[in-house]
Amino acid sequence: MSQSKQHKQQVFRLATGGRIDRTRTLSFTFNGQPYQGHPGDTLASALLANGVDIVNRSFKYSRPRGIVAAGAEEPNGIVQLGSSEAAQVPNVRATQQALFNDLTARSTNGWPNVQRDLMGLVGKLGGQFMPPGFYYKTFMAPASMWLTYEKYIRKAAGLGRSPMEDDPDSYDHFNQHCDVLVVGAGAAGLSAALAAARSGARVMVADEQEEMGGSLLDSRETLNGEPADQWAAQVLEELAGCENVTLLPRTTANGYHDHNFVTLHERRTEHLGETAPVVNGHRPVRSRMHRVRVGQVILATGAHERPLVYAGNDVPGNLLAGAVSTYIRRYGVVPGRQLVLSTSNDYGYRAALDWKEAGCEVVAIVDAREAPKGDWVEAARAQGIKIITGSAVIEAKGSNRVTAARVAKIDIDAFKVSGPVQELACDTIASSGGYSPVIHLASHTGARPTWRDDILGFVPGLVKGVQACGGVNGTYALGDVLAEGVEAGIKAAATMGYAAQTVNIPSAERLQQGAAVALFQVPHEKPTLRGPKQFVDLQNDVTAAGIELATREGFESIEHIKRYTAMGFGTDQGKLGNINGMAIAARCLNRSIPEVGTTVFRPNYTPVTFGAIVGRHCRDLFDPERYTALHQWHVERGAEFEDVGQWKRPWYYPEKVNGKIETMHQAVARECLAVREKVGILDASTLGKIDIQGPDAREFLARIYTNKWEKLAVGKCRYGLMCKDDGMVTDDGVTSCLAENHFLMTTTTGGAAAILEWLELWHQTEWPELDVYFSSVTDHWATMTITGPEARKLLAEITDIDLDRDSFKFMDWRSGKVAGVPARVFRISFTGELTFEINVQANYAMHVWQTLFKHGEKYGLTPYGTETMHVLRAEKGFIIVGQETDGSVTPEDLGMQWCVGYDKPFSWIGKRALTRSDTKRENRKQLVGLRPKDPKVILEEGAQIVLDPKHAIPMPMVGHVTSSYYSPILDSGFALAVVKGGHQKLGETVYLPMADGQTHEAEIVSTVFYDPKGERQHV
Amino acid sequence: MSNAATFDTRTDTAIPVESPLAYSYRHSGAPRGSGYRLKLRERAMLGHLILRGGAIVLDEAVREVLGINLPGKPQALVQDASGERSIQWLSPDEWLVIVPGGEEFPLETQLRERLGDAHYAISDVSGGQTLLEISGEAARELLMKTVIYDVHPSNFPVGKGVTTVFAKATTIIRRPSEERWELVVRRSFADYCYRWLLDAGSEYGVNVEQ
Repeated sequence: MSQSKQHKQQVFRLATGGRIDRTRTLSFTFNGQPYQGHPGDTLASALLANGVDIVNRSFKYSRPRGIVAAGAEEPNGIVQLGSSEAAQVPNVRATQQALFNDLTARSTNGWPNVQRDLMGLVGKLGGQFMPPGFYYKTFMAPASMWLTYEKYIRKAAGLGRSPMEDDPDSYDHFNQHCDVLVVGAGAAGLSAALAAARSGARVMVADEQEEMGGSLLDSRETLNGEPADQWAAQVLEELAGCENVTLLPRTTANGYHDHNFVTLHERRTEHLGETAPVVNGHRPVRSRMHRVRVGQVILATGAHERPLVYAGNDVPGNLLAGAVSTYIRRYGVVPGRQLVLSTSNDYGYRAALDWKEAGCEVVAIVDAREAPKGDWVEAARAQGIKIITGSAVIEAKGSNRVTAARVAKIDIDAFKVSGPVQELACDTIASSGGYSPVIHLASHTGARPTWRDDILGFVPGLVKGVQACGGVNGTYALGDVLAEGVEAGIKAAATMGYAAQTVNIPSAERLQQGAAVALFQVPHEKPTLRGPKQFVDLQNDVTAAGIELATREGFESIEHIKRYTAMGFGTDQGKLGNINGMAIAARCLNRSIPEVGTTVFRPNYTPVTFGAIVGRHCRDLFDPERYTALHQWHVERGAEFEDVGQWKRPWYYPEKVNGKIETMHQAVARECLAVREKVGILDASTLGKIDIQGPDAREFLARIYTNKWEKLAVGKCRYGLMCKDDGMVTDDGVTSCLAENHFLMTTTTGGAAAILEWLELWHQTEWPELDVYFSSVTDHWATMTITGPEARKLLAEITDIDLDRDSFKFMDWRSGKVAGVPARVFRISFTGELTFEINVQANYAMHVWQTLFKHGEKYGLTPYGTETMHVLRAEKGFIIVGQETDGSVTPEDLGMQWCVGYDKPFSWIGKRALTRSDTKRENRKQLVGLRPKDPKVILEEGAQIVLDPKHAIPMPMVGHVTSSYYSPILDSGFALAVVKGGHQKLGETVYLPMADGQTHEAEIVSTVFYDPKGERQHV
Repeated sequence: MSNAATFDTRTDTAIPVESPLAYSYRHSGAPRGSGYRLKLRERAMLGHLILRGGAIVLDEAVREVLGINLPGKPQALVQDASGERSIQWLSPDEWLVIVPGGEEFPLETQLRERLGDAHYAISDVSGGQTLLEISGEAARELLMKTVIYDVHPSNFPVGKGVTTVFAKATTIIRRPSEERWELVVRRSFADYCYRWLLDAGSEYGVNVEQ
């Protein structure tokens, strides 16, 4: 077992056998050492073929660890992949990673060298002082030090690292739908899939291995007299030819969610290279998350073999019996020379038979049963293999590799060693404690598993729409597994409405099997707490002693024991250790295993790369960006953008002045003055627009808005305020009367979709008798707001609409042509200036906008963004819903009683709530203006307002600032705020203590700071 | 007439128009070339009308004016013989009519004349959405990456149309023929949808026909 640099290549590789391609050789490196393997290998089988014993150092004690298993349950062979920074992948199980040429892997733990680990000495010493609960006991106090401890503990523990560079690969999601999803393509899964597929149902089959077939690929058994893998190949060929079947190899069902929604993680190119190889000039997707909505789920996830828990069972060279068989029969690798097998059942015997057939020495089979009998037992006897009965391997000797097995008679019931110990020289110990059904997915549904004494394992508790068959159901005999699979397939398809078709179940050998014995932890001569370590969870370094200690310290719930000891944590999720751990807890607590129960398995079954979870929802596709028809212009003009909902709105347009780009403050000041003194233009296309038609449209408006609509004439516009049924303001906007039965409502940009739903909700559920329809026309119209004293002159140049101040008054709308394009023009204003809102079909918007600029230069036409819009409207005291309001503000709080139709004949939404004593209360927070005593001060939005700055802390807070800006036209800071009883406090002084110790002084004033009579918008 | 305002938003053809994807073509390009398995084509500037009303109210008028039947079943798409005019069921009292550009206003006018004082609504949304055709052998896979709705032929035969989730936006998706799918995309989301389709389709190769 030397790992010297002069190691012979693949010395543990058999000359024949296995499913590998010996005609081709692949090179790879592990921890910097070059090795070779073959196509068909996993990284684990190639490492074993090269005699690499130590693949990692353990989590807590830094003990050397080797490969234990051959599948997803591998606890030790956790590696970091990647030859470059960008290609780093952490926490890959070597048993699940197909070998490819130039694969580069490192141990995730044991820097700088797993052979002579620096942590080793520290860990071994430290380990003595790290009993379970160590973190809680030691590091949680003082709490302030935890962050410091944690950093070092994590570094030492080292479970891989994520790349620091951009991933060159792409990932995505696939939405799938099927009648029947079969999870697992072993004997049970294939027969279920075949039965379901022949019925015509849409079938998906997901299997996590490189090759479908499961245990049939390395079985000793025959089907129809042929090797079992031939039957698997035939079935796969038939399934591949079915149009109604989707086969997904290398695909792990990781999560089973509500309503039969299953997430599958497909590794599409991980077996080809560390980044996806380019095909025909296109780079394929590396990993894919299938989001599958399933009619019937068939769980054919099989079973994991359970190792026995004995002293030194973590020394490299201790393997699962089934894994030994898999390595020999599937990969052509014998992971040692001299085997001792310790088993509690007949299945374990296969490892010894395979080992012997591979031409290596079986030192002994140690069987915990007094009188084992069965076909495989007899086969072993016939081979002349020594069988030691009523005994177990109680301890493995060796440090970097097993050197001997200590074997003794045991008394399981009394939990003690009952005979003399003999030491058998060997380099490999295989153990089998029976099988644990892979119930993880079933557990995700929330269904508690059920313990079955006859199989010594938990089987899935099932919910509607799911069936389990084969190993996961505790059925292990091949013939029974196949029959159960077919039955499940037929039943699932029938449930989905597909008639069963004939499926001939291939004939399997009827093997005689002896009963297994319940053995979990093997007794040692010394008591568990004093003897050598017996590992239960290899990945998390949880020992039998640790569990016993936890029970002694009063932890009785298995969920608490799990968290106290860390059993079943990490990438492992208790695949090998959990049942043994529960059994040990049960022994210590003197209870039965079902009484102790299981912990809950949660998604994901195995780690999923973040790329597959994220899919394409990253970078510039992370979230939709909504653009107006004028976006190109804004970009070219150098606008800075603000996110409003998902819209990108121009925030301000910085210009180059004297070779320097303006700051936001400079740009906004310039834009504000341009509007007040000349003319500005705003892209207001994002405002929500709802087309409302029907004879009852007017009545509907009167019920949904707080104000009155009965007298709004055709050609007129009106501002409306909307409350929720709690009387709190939720939206506002201008609605125009287009015809007697036809209105155009505008909403806030962010509220558009929600308000349309709100209208539909009230119409459909409360007032279906009203004849009215709503349709969103937000995207149909582009809206360009020109505002400022020169607005009329500018528009007059390019329109046929009569703009005379007396015939086209403030709050009127007219239609005509603007720049040759049919337009509706609304004389409404959010700035307080003379304003025309030009609406054209969005496809013409760019032409109209550019025409306005062609004519606008001589008037000083200036584009302005949302920031300037905010300043200008605040100068006029116009609210923004969501800024001045926060869902707790009534129209009356805003001083907008003028916008409430108290005497409307029919009730309206919010009316009742506004009569409550709380909404009538006088000291509610009310909207006011604030003028800082120092005009240079810009109050902070959100700053708290107090009446007495000398008051002891905590000071009574009476309100807060909702909007605050510098006003270029007033050359002063100003703010809007809500203050308790504010409407009665005009002229009073309030104080705003700031975090930096300053206290600002401000006077409560009217909310209208500019043009209080509102003359400018009427000119 | 039901006392609603009608408004022809179109004008003479000399005035330049920009489709909802104009920005996207400039910003993200329009890949062309051979060896692609996906084809995208925008059918810009078509006439789009939203029809609201009971089927009983609308049925005869639609047949008379447009010459095709109102879809009798939910989620159905009906086209005329040329395939240029279609009506799609959107919800129990909501239909999407798509006609060649410029036909929408005369159509609305005729429908209103024919429907008289009945209760219904017609809204022109031609500027607010665009039609995007997807074809090519990888079309269905592209859709599976994009929409959660089941686009398998057994669930999505020719003549069906639904409103569903498109990545993190929404879209109308319809299948006018065996090899062709159509997305009706809202103008403001069009660039996101376009970039998504190019990205999701990149592994198949995409050809954009303008």
